[in-house]
Amino acid sequence: MLEVKNVTKTFGGVVANKDVSFSFEEGQIVGLIGPNGAGKSTMFNMISAIFPPSEGEIIFRKQRIDKMPTNAMAPLGISRTFQNLQVFKNMTVVENVMVGRHIRTKTGTLRAALKLPGTKKEEVSAYDKAMEYIQFVGLQDLYDHLAGNLALGKLRLLELARALATEPKLLLLDEIAAGLNHKETKEMSNLIEKIRNNGTTVFVVEHDMDLVMSICDKIIVLDQGEKIAEGTPREIQSNQRVITAYLGAEVEKNAQ
Amino acid sequence: MKLKGVQQTNWIGVGIFVLIVLIFPFVVTQSFLLNHATFTGIYVIVSLGLGLLMGYAGQISLGQAAFYGVGAYATAIMTTTYGLSPWIGLIFSIAIAALLAYIMGYTMARLSGYYLAMATLAFGIIVHSVLVEWRSVTLGASGFYGIPSINIFGYTITQGIPYYYFVWAFAIIGIIICLNIVHSRVGRALRSIHDSEIASSAMGVETGKYKTQIFVLSAIFAGVAGWLFAHMSYSISPSSFTLDASIIFLAMVVLGGSSSVWGAVLGTVLITMIQVTVHTLGEQFTFITSEFEHVVYGLILVLVIIFMPRGLFPTISSWLNNKMSQRSSETQEKKAS
Repeated sequence: MLEVKNVTKTFGGVVANKDVSFSFEEGQIVGLIGPNGAGKSTMFNMISAIFPPSEGEIIFRKQRIDKMPTNAMAPLGISRTFQNLQVFKNMTVVENVMVGRHIRTKTGTLRAALKLPGTKKEEVSAYDKAMEYIQFVGLQDLYDHLAGNLALGKLRLLELARALATEPKLLLLDEIAAGLNHKETKEMSNLIEKIRNNGTTVFVVEHDMDLVMSICDKIIVLDQGEKIAEGTPREIQSNQRVITAYLGAEVEKNAQ
Repeated sequence: MKLKGVQQTNWIGVGIFVLIVLIFPFVVTQSFLLNHATFTGIYVIVSLGLGLLMGYAGQISLGQAAFYGVGAYATAIMTTTYGLSPWIGLIFSIAIAALLAYIMGYTMARLSGYYLAMATLAFGIIVHSVLVEWRSVTLGASGFYGIPSINIFGYTITQGIPYYYFVWAFAIIGIIICLNIVHSRVGRALRSIHDSEIASSAMGVETGKYKTQIFVLSAIFAGVAGWLFAHMSYSISPSSFTLDASIIFLAMVVLGGSSSVWGAVLGTVLITMIQVTVHTLGEQFTFITSEFEHVVYGLILVLVIIFMPRGLFPTISSWLNNKMSQRSSETQEKKAS
């Protein structure tokens, strides 16, 4: 489904990703982990076409996407959430999710201006569909609240609902559990498994190891911009390079 | 159907506004006030477009008077020089303003920030210079005389009450068009760009396309207003389409509040009222000159930006909403206890 081929990204002189390659198939939950500054978010931003790689190719369902504009991703079937929460805070919860329906609806400026027949029907169906996703993530009690007034845990759910509303084939979750308490994290991992079971491939960047190890089918590990390991949670947990990267070289020395 | 939690047009509000517009000439009979009310309608059309551009597309135009002038001159040339019908003039007013905006907007769609503001500022100055200097077509600084009146179904729309209703019919259509856009898929897309452009484009919103479209729409509105102005005034000259005029349009939108369609309407009405007041006072007190207006505008802009940066209309309406919800929760509490 997704293939990252020899991708390098440099910002000025700083190398964020160096010759990274990996790929995965449909129907999985895939985790991207690594210590701070490993280049995980940079990789996510390239896969969602926020910015292009300096070198290399990104292929999604046999199509090169690394030179496409950001807004071409959602129609192809890639949607995402943001680590630093990019909700539309002056809009209500349901309006936020309705923006997620943007690519699934088609009323243009002229049709809207003249309120041509069919626009109302489309509006109602976008609303109903948005409410389904709100229900799915469990925000139904807050649907008419302004997004700016929501607590962090609810905002993460809202971003998830908005991303799902585009009906993605590949869903990118950038630290979706950051700042959540234990109960919220548990609920979030249940949701992610549900999303995968509904047929959407999920790719997560995550710091919460319990979450990653319990739900991922496959894990890719980055350290200082390079891929150092790839495999099942069990393989990753026992991988010496991964342990070194996370705990530092001193532990390794002490162990010897 | 009411979709709860989604911004929708309050048609009762629109109805009340239409009613006010309809009965105004019966209440206020002084012809100079009616004249000002007609001009207000023309300015409302310009500021509606500018409000949509500023509040929804997040762009600033410092050259809206240029599109207004292009609209006025397009029809003046077509009807006076070539003797065509004003209705054909309207097509030219719209088409030329839209084309110029499209060319400018298309090249700037990829840029963000204040590039459009700078470009429109330059555009306004260029248009004004062209109007003054291209004497063979625009007749230079003295401008056009003898622009014909508009006929509709064999009936000539004369100055006074007929033209007042004619202008406000366009203004109300403009308001409805803006409300329709704002409360639609496109309006939501625009609002989302305002809050987070990156999330908006990740959802597949073609941000550049919508910004360009709204810019073109704002130019069309200004073009139509220019057309109405030319056929009302009998004569036009470049002095009506200066940077000053662009800044007054900006002041109208900032005062009323650009995040609401009604804000542009309110701001326009208030600025016109200030103009009328200053003029009236100027007749009584010689020290109040027309320069005084600019001092008042400047003061208003500074005060609004400091004390209510969202503008009058959004500030007042959210204050009223809070009051209402407080009252309803109080009554609920009373009932409960």
